[in-house]
Amino acid sequence: MRFLGIVLMVEGLMILSCLIPALHFSDGTWEQIALSGLFTFFVGLLLKVRFRRARTMHNRRMAYLLVVLMWVVLGLFGTLPFLTTGTLIHFPDALFESMSGITSTGATVFSAVEWLPSSILLWRSMTQWFGGFGIVLLVLALVPSMGINKYSLYTAEASGADNTGKQSSTMGSTVRHTLGVYILLTFLFIFLLYKSGMHIWDAVNITFTNISSGGFSIYNNSLQGLTHLQQYIVALAMLLSGVNFALLFNFFTFRWDKLSHKLEQFLFYLCTVVAASLFVICALVFAMGYSWGDAIRNGLVQTISVITTSGSLVADTSQWWVPVSFLFVVLSLCGAMAGSTTGGLKAMRVLILVRHVRKILRDRLHPQSVNPVRLNGKPVSSHIVTNVMVIFMVFVMVIFIGIMLLMLSGINATESIGAVIACITGYGPGLGISGGFGCYAHFTTPAKLICSLLMLMGRLECLTVLILFIPAFWKK
Amino acid sequence: MRRFNWRLIAHVTGVLLLYVAAGMLLPIAVSIYSQDGMQFALALSGLLILMSGLFLRNMVGKKAEYVLREDESYWLTVAVWVVLPLFGTLPYLFTGTTASFTDAVFESFSGFTTTGSSVVAMPENLPPSVLTYRALTQWLGGLGLLLFVVALLRRLGLSAGTLYEAEFSGTQQRKLHPRLAKSVTRMWSIYGLFTVAMSVVLTMQGVNVVDAFCTACSTVSTGGFLTNSMGIMALGNGAVTTVTVFMFFSGVNVAVLYRIFTFKWRHLWSDGELRTYVVLFIAAVTVCTVAFFAEGNGLYDSARYSVFHIASTMSTCGFYMPTPRYWSFLVSVLTFILIVVGAMSGSTGGGIKLRRVIIMVKYVANYFNCMIHPNAIYRVKLNGQLVEKDYISKVFAFVFLYIVFIVAGGFVLTICGCSIPDAICMAAANISNLGPSPLINSLGGSLNYALLPALAKWILAVLMLAGRVELFALLAIVSPAYWRIRLKR
Repeated sequence: MRFLGIVLMVEGLMILSCLIPALHFSDGTWEQIALSGLFTFFVGLLLKVRFRRARTMHNRRMAYLLVVLMWVVLGLFGTLPFLTTGTLIHFPDALFESMSGITSTGATVFSAVEWLPSSILLWRSMTQWFGGFGIVLLVLALVPSMGINKYSLYTAEASGADNTGKQSSTMGSTVRHTLGVYILLTFLFIFLLYKSGMHIWDAVNITFTNISSGGFSIYNNSLQGLTHLQQYIVALAMLLSGVNFALLFNFFTFRWDKLSHKLEQFLFYLCTVVAASLFVICALVFAMGYSWGDAIRNGLVQTISVITTSGSLVADTSQWWVPVSFLFVVLSLCGAMAGSTTGGLKAMRVLILVRHVRKILRDRLHPQSVNPVRLNGKPVSSHIVTNVMVIFMVFVMVIFIGIMLLMLSGINATESIGAVIACITGYGPGLGISGGFGCYAHFTTPAKLICSLLMLMGRLECLTVLILFIPAFWKK
Repeated sequence: MRRFNWRLIAHVTGVLLLYVAAGMLLPIAVSIYSQDGMQFALALSGLLILMSGLFLRNMVGKKAEYVLREDESYWLTVAVWVVLPLFGTLPYLFTGTTASFTDAVFESFSGFTTTGSSVVAMPENLPPSVLTYRALTQWLGGLGLLLFVVALLRRLGLSAGTLYEAEFSGTQQRKLHPRLAKSVTRMWSIYGLFTVAMSVVLTMQGVNVVDAFCTACSTVSTGGFLTNSMGIMALGNGAVTTVTVFMFFSGVNVAVLYRIFTFKWRHLWSDGELRTYVVLFIAAVTVCTVAFFAEGNGLYDSARYSVFHIASTMSTCGFYMPTPRYWSFLVSVLTFILIVVGAMSGSTGGGIKLRRVIIMVKYVANYFNCMIHPNAIYRVKLNGQLVEKDYISKVFAFVFLYIVFIVAGGFVLTICGCSIPDAICMAAANISNLGPSPLINSLGGSLNYALLPALAKWILAVLMLAGRVELFALLAIVSPAYWRIRLKR
């Protein structure tokens, strides 16, 4: 609980920092923002003080519970700025928007964002920036040991996704390195965008939402209004956000000998980007009559946005050719590299899945041979392979159930599929009305709640959330 | 290393073609009896099939060695499921039933793989002989023509074990009888008995003989070709009941059926898969009944519809009684899930198969328990027996592949102009060998596939084939890993 308090305090500070634009642009929301910021901060402080003497815990179950609880609480308090300023009146709307922010999904209920007060815009961008990195990890890195088994928190948050190659032996420094890369990239891209002639306000917001692969925008037409150069810069930001941060860290600190640990995933990721973009570009030219220049720009930027599950849009994709939309759904499910800010299954898992199938085929053709699943030249332990298999199956089951629930709450089939996958992968725009430049405003209340839950599940990779629903979890 | 034994593959394919040719006698007889003028077209195609069969068996496959390597058994499986349907198009082409070669291929593949997707909008306008032929292709496809072969191979002295494995890949079989050939004969006799019994019952309920026979073939083989565009309803209420009962049983493992009908009931209920089948059936029927009832149907009618509908879906027969247009979302999604899950292993139905789904779900549940108690050891058990880890990973790979196939098939279908949900549903319905898709928006509201472009039909035909040979056989022979080794030799 003490940990929870600290997280809330950080969030309170985050909200308070939204005061800067509120005052600067004097959009008349500073009182409400200050109120919600202070309220959050003090609830956090209260929790921290109240549970000062909390026992240390090494319990795995508590770790799962804590992580989920923190994300839920963050989402709940994140609704305050929306509710107090009156930009969103209904709680489910606010929850949806807030969840979409901190899980860096980018699905929005605002049909038009340009009339929103600047403080709210910054708040949306900022939730994504913090959420993309994993605010929990952030706190972990900043706060010295709290008697909590940090590793179990880490595995709870990342579902043991990429515990194969930590670059430092201790958790804390891993997180700090990663954070360093993240902040560096953010500054770099703010600078680049600023240099390309963008207003500093736009540059900050756009960088925040794209480096975190979130996808909220401060313009109704997302990236469409940007110059071509700026679009390419944003695409580069998204592309980098899909790369494993440990890899980036090693790259920037010239430890190139360590790059080979994750080389295959990286190449796979790049190949997917190239292959998918090629298909999309061809589709745009031949099926939709774009000129080659436009097609290359739109296709490349949009494909990167999809694979990294950002969800920034260079055009109204809901009007694009149906197979392209379908491809986007599949790509967002695959996702980019593990250990980045992106969602979906992650390149490493897809690789392992494919290699496992190949292994089974080889086993059948040559029953006497030994065929381990290899990654980067090293055999992958069967433990990890089953972990990947289970996560994949759980993903599929959750998607099924999600689609069924959404359809029951009155959403049609196409939109249900789009919304579920967009939410669980953190892509953002769905199919149909909720896709493209559209929004989720027309969803019914239960549908919005389900989507919020799905975003949370997607961010925590299903297992951590689902385990709370297992009866055995609550037994002593 | 000895050379690739393609002679044997040709030989076996030839023998099977002879069986098809023999089967052609039935439609010819029907044609002569009902004087619908198709006898010459049918006789001609029968003759061609006969000649090709003889040619393959006696000329090409003359000096075949009776040994089969692992990869050769895959080739054999795929060859049989491609060659037979291709020859099976001849009657459609000669009688002018279908408009194009593509349509004929689609119809023929759908028949032999017991899928039951059709391009014929008005089956009642088809001559009785063609109807019979259509039903017959399903029946022949039904129990897996290869099982025929196994019975036949007893004479050839071929090692039957490999083939059997290829046909029912990845599903450990409850052996009917220690000696495979004998167990196959038993399966076959149950199958035949069911068909005859059902035809007789239907006839007694006032259905005309051709319709009764065709419906029986469609049901027992879990195919699902209809004899008229009105669906099973047109045969009368009694017939609906009969079909429901037989559908339910045709989704059950043949070995279990054998035990049921020889009154060896002692350990029946300890069969985990059968138990799940029954429980899932009851649960699905309940949900479905509620859904139909909520739409304002009477309670009795909703229950009746539901039982029929769920039996038809779980056994992957694919008869739809109220057409999907009248379903609520709940029923559509439920249907979709059941389609993918499919019937029991070792039945004529398709899908992932209940057995695999049970193992998968159990393993995932264990995994969660492991997360809570990291030091505990959990194992997956089925029917009181431990399931090996290797086997579980095979199951996972299979399910993964299945989903990949559905998605890939759906992708190509969207290129052909279908909407995304439609495309996915069509792909799933065909790879699971069910037939009509539970969502029919882009087909103009009809259950048949006549309006699809040619590419879509070919893709669906490939999916049917993939589903029937259970993916691995098809994938193995096209995999680069295989060819790299093959070419090195």
